[in-house]
Amino acid sequence: MFQNRAEALALALPAAIFAAAVFLVPVVILLSDGFRNPAGGWTISAYIDFFSSPLNQAVFLRTLKLGALVTVVSAVIGYAAAFAIVNLEPGMKGKVTGLVVLPLMISPVARTYAWIVILGRTGIVNQAFQALGISDVPLRILFSETAIFIGLLQLFLPLMIISLISALENMPKDAVPAARVLGANWFQVFWKVILPLTKEGLVVGGTLVFTGCLTAYITPAILGGSKVLMLETLMYQQVSVSNNFVAASVIAFILIVMSFAANILLKRVATARNKQRRAAA
Amino acid sequence: MTVARSLFIPLVLFLVIAFLIGPFLIIVAASFSAGETLAFPPQGFSLRWIAKVFTVESFRASFGMSMFLAIGGTLAALVLGIPASYALSRYKLPGAEIVRTIVSAPIIVPGIIVGLALLRYIVVPFQIGITLALFMAHTALILPYAVRVVSASLENLRSDIEEAAVLLGSSRLGAFFRVVMPNIRGGILSAFILGFVTSFNQVPVSLFLSGPGVRTMPIDMIAYMEIVFDPSVAALSSLLALMSIGIVFAAERFLGFSRYV
Amino acid sequence: MSDASYLSLQKLTLTYGDSPAVPDLDLDIRKGELIALLGPSGCGKTTTMRAIAGLMPVKSGRVRLDGSDITRVPANKRAVGLVFQSYALFPHLSVYENVAFGLKLKGMRGQELDAKVQSGLKSVGLSNFANRRPAELSGGQQQRVALARSMVMEPKVLLLDEPLSNLDARLRLEMRTELQRVQKETGVTMIFVTHDQAEALALADRIVVMKSGKIEQIGSPEDIYNRPTSSFVADFVGFENIFPLENGKLKTSGGLINLSSQPPSAAGLAWRPRMVTLGIGPFRGTVRGTSFAGDSREYLLDTPIGPIKAEVEASQPAYALGAELVFDLPAEKAAPLARFA
Ligand SMILES: Nc1ncnc2c1ncn2[C@@H]1O[C@H](COP(=O)(O)OP(=O)(O)O)[C@@H](O)[C@H]1O
Ligand SMILES: [Mg+2]
Repeated sequence: MFQNRAEALALALPAAIFAAAVFLVPVVILLSDGFRNPAGGWTISAYIDFFSSPLNQAVFLRTLKLGALVTVVSAVIGYAAAFAIVNLEPGMKGKVTGLVVLPLMISPVARTYAWIVILGRTGIVNQAFQALGISDVPLRILFSETAIFIGLLQLFLPLMIISLISALENMPKDAVPAARVLGANWFQVFWKVILPLTKEGLVVGGTLVFTGCLTAYITPAILGGSKVLMLETLMYQQVSVSNNFVAASVIAFILIVMSFAANILLKRVATARNKQRRAAA
Repeated sequence: MTVARSLFIPLVLFLVIAFLIGPFLIIVAASFSAGETLAFPPQGFSLRWIAKVFTVESFRASFGMSMFLAIGGTLAALVLGIPASYALSRYKLPGAEIVRTIVSAPIIVPGIIVGLALLRYIVVPFQIGITLALFMAHTALILPYAVRVVSASLENLRSDIEEAAVLLGSSRLGAFFRVVMPNIRGGILSAFILGFVTSFNQVPVSLFLSGPGVRTMPIDMIAYMEIVFDPSVAALSSLLALMSIGIVFAAERFLGFSRYV
Repeated sequence: MSDASYLSLQKLTLTYGDSPAVPDLDLDIRKGELIALLGPSGCGKTTTMRAIAGLMPVKSGRVRLDGSDITRVPANKRAVGLVFQSYALFPHLSVYENVAFGLKLKGMRGQELDAKVQSGLKSVGLSNFANRRPAELSGGQQQRVALARSMVMEPKVLLLDEPLSNLDARLRLEMRTELQRVQKETGVTMIFVTHDQAEALALADRIVVMKSGKIEQIGSPEDIYNRPTSSFVADFVGFENIFPLENGKLKTSGGLINLSSQPPSAAGLAWRPRMVTLGIGPFRGTVRGTSFAGDSREYLLDTPIGPIKAEVEASQPAYALGAELVFDLPAEKAAPLARFA
C-alpha cells in the first residue's frame, strides 16, 4: 500500500473524470429531465402521464413479466445443465463449458437473426408443424412475446449456467451424499441442500439475466417488431418516432431503477451470507 | 434410478447446447445457400453470399468503423483504466469506492441511455462529430471491463516486488514498467480482447449515434436486414462470429484468457 | 560519525495515518554489526525496517547512515538492501536476471555484469539454477536468490525481514549458518527481524528487543538471555516465573511472601524453570502437570503463590502427578528486573 495521495489521485482521476463527463453527467441530466416542468420546477407529472397510458402500462408489465419469466426458466434449465456439467469428467467439462460460453462471443444480432429463420412464416418450426399436420396455415410465432422470450432465454441462459457451475463447484463435496445418507429424496436434497448452498450463484446469475433482459434492445426489436414493445424498444420509438424526450427520460429512469434494484438485491444477499460466515468464524 | 441418471445428463446437455448453438449453426448453413432468400434448409450450395458480403459498400464502411471503435476504444479504455486500476489496488486512495463506482457504472446503466444522453448533452451542445461521440461512448463502455480485468491481475501480483525493484535502484515509474507490466501482460491482453468483443458486438450505445455514412457494423446489419431478406446478413454474421471465436480461442490457447475474465 | 553510530535512528516517529506505529525511536548501530530486531508480532519491526529502507515516510526524527542524513533520500538512492519476508522475487525473470536486475540499473554490462552475477549466485550455492524461474525453486532457494540479489548491490546496510520464518525447521538452521557466513565474509552491516528469541540469540552480535514500537532492551545475546531488565524481556526469553517485588517481598496471588534469602533491590524477580529448586525450601506445591524432555523433566506446580514452572535433570527422581512437594525460589539465582510492566 503506497501512501502518497497526490500520486493516487493523479492516476485515478483521468478515468474517473472521463467516465463522469462522458457518462455520469449526461445521464444524470437526462434523468433529471423527466422530473422537470416547463417552468423549471420539479414534478413527477411525467411519471403520472407515463403510467396512465394503458399502452405504457402494458409495456412496463411485459418487460417485468418477460424479465422474471426468462430469469426463472433460465434458473430451472440452468440448474439441470450446471448439475450435468459439474458431474462430467474434467476434460469433457472444459469442452462443454466452452460450448456454453461460445454464444457469448457471437454478436447478439447474429444470434437473434437466427430465430427469424427458425420462427418465421416459412421457418423450420412452421415447416415442421405443417409437415406433421399440426397446423395447415403458417403460425405467427415471430413478433410475439413468445419469440422475445425464446430469444432472450437463448441470449442469457449461458450467464446463468456459468454462475451456477461455479456455485455448484464451490459447494462442499460431501453435502449431497451426506443428505442422501440421511434419507433425503432428490427433491429434498435440492431444496434443503443444493439451493441454500448455491444461493449466491443463483442470485448472481439471476441478476445478470434479469438486468440483461431489461437492457436488451436487439432481441425485442427484431423478434418483437414494432407492435410488441419492451421498455428499451419503447424508449427508442419515443425518441426516434415521437421525439418525446421526456418520456424517454422517464423510461430511462425506470430502467435504471430496475437494474439497480436487481443489483442491490444481489449485494444484499451476498453480504448477508458473508456476515453469516464471519459470525460462524 | 441409475439408468435415469445416466440418460439425464447427456440428454440435458444435448438439448441445452442444441438450443444455444443450434440457431447459430443454422445461420452458418444458410449463408452457404444458393437461393435468393434466407431459408433453412439451404437451397443448394454456393459461396455467392459469402462473396457478396465483401462487395457491399456500407458493410465495408461499417466494418471499418466498428474495427476502429473496438480497437481504439479498447486502447483508450486501457490507457485510462490501467492507471486507475493501479491506484485502486496499490494506494490508499481517498474516495476509492466513489472512483470505482464511477468507472464501473457504465456497465450497469443500459447502453441505450448512455447513447441518448451522450447525443443530447454532449454531441448536440458541443457540436462534436458522431465518430468522436461513438469513440467516447465505446471507451466509457469498455472502461469497466478494463478496470475489472486489470484490477484482478494486479490483485494477483504481490505489490512488494515493486518495492524490491525500487530498492535495487529503479524509479517508481521504472518499477512499474520493469516488474508490474510484464507480470500483468496477460491480464491486459485479456482486457483488450474482452473490450474488443464487447465493443464490436455492442448495439444499444450506438443506436442513436449514427449519422450519414457513420454506422457501426451491427447497426448496419440491422438496417440492411430490414430492407433485404437475402442470406448475405447470415453470411456476414457467420464471418464475424468466426472472427470473434477465433480471437477468443487463440486468447484462451495462448493466454489462458478465462483465468482473467 | 563515530564508529558506534554507522547507522543511527534519532527520535524516529513513524505513523500509519494518525495511529503511531513507532514513537520516538533511538538506535545506534556499529559498522559491520549483526543486529537482531526481536519482538512480538505487531510491535513495529517491519515498520522500522521499511523506514530505514525509505519505503515508509518518516513523520519526525532522522535516519543517518555512514555520516549523512538520509531521512529524505529516496529509497532507490539509499544503498540499503532489504530481503522481504516473502522474498519478493520478480516472477517473470530468471534467477540470473533477478540477481542482475539492480546491477543493470547501475549501468553494469557485459563481462563485468556476468562475473558479478555469477559470483553472487555462487556465494549462495545457486550457480546451477541460474536459468530457473522463481516459481521453480523451493522456499529456501528463493530466499537465497533474494539474498544474492541484495548482496550483489553491496549495500551499506542489509535488512532482512523475518528471513527464516517461512522455512521449515531444518532449512531454518541451515539458513542461519548461511546468513552468518555471508555476513562474516562480506562484513556487511546487517539487521534482521525475528520474533523467535532462539534465532536472535544464535545469530546476533547485539539484540534489540522491541515492544509496542519502543525499545525495551538492547544488549548482547548473553545480556538478553541472562540479564533481562524488564518483565517483558524476561518473559520473552523464557523466564516463566516472574513476580514483582514490594519492600523486599515477592508479590504473589497469595499475598506478599518472604523469600528464603534477602533479594536485591529491583522492581521484580524472574526465574527460569531450571532455577527453581525442588525437594527443599519453604514453599509447598502440588504437581499439576509433568512433561519429559529427554535430558530434563518439566513440572507445573500448583502453589499458594500461583502456578510455578520447574525443570530438573531427568536423572533426578521423578514426582508423580498429584504429588506434594516443597521447593524454593532462590533469590540469588533470580534475574533482577528494573522494570515491571
Ligand atoms: N499498512 C498499515 N496500515 C496501518 N497500520 C499498520 C500497517 N502496517 C502495520 N500497521 C500497524 O503498525 C504496527 C506495527 O506493525 P509491523 O511493523 O508490521 O509489526 P511487526 O513487523 O513487528 O510484526 C501494528 O500495530 C500494525 O497493526
Ligand atoms: Mg513484520
